[in-house]
This record gives sequence, C-alpha cells and structure tokens, in this order.
Amino acid sequence: MRTTLRNPYVYLLFVVPTIALYFLFFIYPMLTSVFYGFTNWNGLDTKDFIGFDNFVNAFKDEDFRNSIWNNLYILLFSCCVQVPLIIVFSLLISSVKRFQGFYKTTVFMPSILSTSVIGILWGYIYDPDVGLINNILKTFGLDPIYFLADTKWALLSILITNAWQWMGFYIVLILAAILGIPKDIDEAAMIDGATGVQRAWYLTVPLIKPIINVVIMLSIAGALRVVDIVLVMTEGGPAGATDVMASYMVNKAIKYGDYGYGTALSIIIFIFALVLTALYQTLVVRRQEKVEY
Amino acid sequence: MAIPLRRTIPHLFMIAYVIIILVPFIFILFSSFKANNTEIATHPFGLPKSWEFGNYKEAWVKAKINVYFFNSFYLAFTAAATGVLFSAATAFAITRMKFKRTSGWIYQFVLIGMLIPGNVLFIAQYLLVQKLGILDTHWSLFLPYTAGALPFSVLLVSAFMKSIPHELEEAAVVDGMNVFRMFFQIILPLTVPALVTVFIVNFLGNWNEYLLSFFFISKDALRTLPSGMVQFRDAFQTNYALVCTGIVFSVVPVLVMYAFLQRKIIEGLTAGSVKG
Repeated sequence: MRTTLRNPYVYLLFVVPTIALYFLFFIYPMLTSVFYGFTNWNGLDTKDFIGFDNFVNAFKDEDFRNSIWNNLYILLFSCCVQVPLIIVFSLLISSVKRFQGFYKTTVFMPSILSTSVIGILWGYIYDPDVGLINNILKTFGLDPIYFLADTKWALLSILITNAWQWMGFYIVLILAAILGIPKDIDEAAMIDGATGVQRAWYLTVPLIKPIINVVIMLSIAGALRVVDIVLVMTEGGPAGATDVMASYMVNKAIKYGDYGYGTALSIIIFIFALVLTALYQTLVVRRQEKVEY
Repeated sequence: MAIPLRRTIPHLFMIAYVIIILVPFIFILFSSFKANNTEIATHPFGLPKSWEFGNYKEAWVKAKINVYFFNSFYLAFTAAATGVLFSAATAFAITRMKFKRTSGWIYQFVLIGMLIPGNVLFIAQYLLVQKLGILDTHWSLFLPYTAGALPFSVLLVSAFMKSIPHELEEAAVVDGMNVFRMFFQIILPLTVPALVTVFIVNFLGNWNEYLLSFFFISKDALRTLPSGMVQFRDAFQTNYALVCTGIVFSVVPVLVMYAFLQRKIIEGLTAGSVKG
C-alpha cells in the first residue's frame, strides 16, 4: 500500500541535487584542500608533494605569525570587551518594558548589512578629512587621527567597526534567553528584596550561562573568520598591522598564486578554530554545573 | 523620585547605543545629498544646503550601481530559491519517505558542512570553479551560494517537516495521490513558514556576500553590490557624496525588507547560528 513513499527513483530525484552540489562545493574542496596543502603548487608548475614544509614555513613566516597575533588580539577583544558589554546591554533591554522592541530591532540592524558596505561606510566615518570622528575632534581643536593609516589605530578601528556590526546580533540572542526565563523566579527575588542589579547578577546571569557559552564560542569562531572587513577597509595594511590569518591566506593565494601554501594556511585556520572551541568546551563548559529551573 | 530615575537609567544607556547605531547612517544619508566634499567637510552634521538628487541619478547610471544592483538581486534571489527547493525536496525525502537508514546517513553527511567555516574552503573553491571553467561567470557565484546554504537549510526544513503528522500522507496515499503532488500540494504548503525563514536568511547572505563575489568575478558588468561598491569606492575615492549615494543604494533594500520582516529575519538568523 505504501509503495508511493518507497519509490527509490523518486527518493534519488529528491536527494541527488542536494548531495551533488554539497559534494562538489564542500566535500571535494575539503579533500583537495588537504591534498594541495602538502604540495608546492603555484598554479603553473607541477604539483610536487613536499610533506609538512608548508606548515613549517607558515610558522617561520613572520608575516603570518604577525597575523596570528592579530587574530588572537581580535579574539581577546571580542571575549573580554565585547561579551561583557553584550551581556550588560541585553540585561538593560530586558529590564525595560517600553521601547523594548524598538531597541531590539535597532541594535540588530547592522548585522543584516553587508560587511563590505559597512567597511566602506566606516571608512568615511574614520576619514581624516571629511570623517565624522575627525570632525568632532576638530571642533575640540585636536589634530586629525589617521585611524586606518596609523599602525597604532588601524586594528582597533576595525575592531570597533566589527563590534558595531555584530554586537546587536549577540544581544538579541541573549535577550531571547533572558526573556525565556520564567517570570516567577525574578518576582520571588523581588519580593525578598533583591535589587535589580542583584537579580541580574545572581539570578539572570547564572541562568543564561549556556547561551553565554554559545555566544563566546561564536565569538571565537567569528574572530578567526574575520576577513571581509579587513580586506575592504585596509587590505591588511598599514604594514601588516591589520592582517589576519584569513586575509593573509587570500592574498597569498590569489595575488601571488601560491595555492599550495595558501591552502596549508587555510588548514591551519581550520585547526585553530577546532582546537580553540574544543579547549573552551572542555575547560569551561564541561566544568560548569548544569542549572535547571 | 528615586524610582522613576532608576527606571530611566537603562533607557539612557540604550538611547546612547541606538544613537551610535544610527548616526553613521544619518551621516551617510546627509552626505549623499550634499553637493561636494567641501560641504561634507565643513558641515558634517547639518542638513544639506540644497538636496542634490543628481547624485542618485549619477551613481545609478554612470557609476553602474544599477548593474550591480540587478546582478545582486537576481543572483541572491535565484540562489536562495534554488536552495530552498533543493533543501525542501531533500528534507521531504529524508523525513517522510521510507528509507530510514539511508536518510540518517545523508542527514549526518550534510550536517558536516555546518562545521566547516566558510572561508577555509575559499582557495579550493576558487580552484574548483577555475577547473570547471566558470570563473568570471555568474555560475561561479550561483553554485557556491546555493551549495553553501544547503546544510543549514536542510537542517531547519527537516526539523520543521518532522513535526508534521504522518496521518496526512497516509490519507493521501489511500486516496491514490502520487509523491509529487503530495510534496507540492500537501507538505510544501505546510512547511511555508520554515521555507520563508530559510529563503530570507539565504537571500540576505547572498546579497551581502563579498569574498567570493570579489575574487571570482573580474568583469565589471558581472559584479554584485558588495564587490561593486568596493570597486566603486576605489574609482570615485575623491567624490564622497557619490560613494555615500552608492552606500544608500545598497543598504536601503535590506532595510526595507527588515522593516517588513524583522521578526522572521531575526528568528532565522539567530536560529542559524545557534543550531550551527
């Protein structure tokens, strides 16, 4: 009777387009990545197998090491500056009744825009001649700062732009968790005389730890993935001050045709992401006791 | 006295945040109507002296924003639609058809894709499209965009389809309905909420995508907005008003969409990240 749903040809027809595309653009590139990573291919000559040379060279490569430090700086910035701010702002939004929806939609808005357009937009905000910030500095009689051309400022400027774009996204994630906590817990604490700050710190934050962990993991992954904004705003300059692993990889591969080396770098990025999230999982997430309510 | 004050403190912080979010947009919007760089530099915050709509016309036609806009739109739309169709078909096959074991494997296999961060595969995908001979054509974006969305889409649509009661198809089978009609006339209409979410998420992702569109396409006439805008900025670097106009053109459609579909968009984008 149920042959209709057992027809293997129909099944194949429904499944094959997805699998074919998926295989072609995920699995196949993954396999070739591993292969190219061990060769010295530069797009022209033969592909010679050179073992781990690419990986060894990568860590000897001062520019790449510099880009790893920049990635770590981004990672620390997002975990130690952004995440606490995100938590504070989501607590603030959850504590108000009026305009809650408005705040939520507004802070979320930048995260739906194209990173490249945001990079261009903020390039103007930072512009030394006409930019918004330097105009403000000018009214105070200060000298303009070359935000994106000064090695001292460039990376921080990019990070601020990045935070401006993505913080709202995480705020909304955490806000949803906060609003999902049953109201009676909070009310009970209020009757017992706990102040707003106490309730936020001793009740809400422990209850939303799981989602905070998610946000931290996403921030770790995000910090290693930063690339568009760097390419658009500074192309890694000035003097490599904003180069991150991914932008360095893209430039090596596309500009110089160093496919073998570039692919090895992409494998390193992947391993970094894997190791860091696994470390966070085992060191932090596993140790926390589970909260239930 | 103390209580109203305490209540306004969160609002003060949030208003400061909202201002930080909105000011760049207002700055760009005003700048786009200003006559020249001097006006932007001397009156950065003020309204333009005269509203220069000419900038918009110039950017749209001369600077080829219209070309980028159209390319972006049709690529984002077709890739998102194809992705929705493929993932719906696959989700239907693996959740409703009677091949349990194979379906389990396929599901796991597709989900591996969610573990791979996007730009790790960048070079290998570049070499792949080069080998396929589609570098510098829209296929080189359409195919990766469609494929890239599949893992998340299959996950989301499958989860939704699983919750549809099985009695529905049983009744349909008894009535002698064939699989295709069952898929298109019964299951798909019931899955619309999930499909809309998936479509929006994919559409936005494709509309905003920069890395592939910048490096896989070198013909100016084929560029999409994000990469075209960068090109445009580099070409018109000295004409701030015109570049600001370009920014307005690429931001407004997304904001309009957001105004109407904000709940769906927020829900879809956050679901994508948490499940991934």
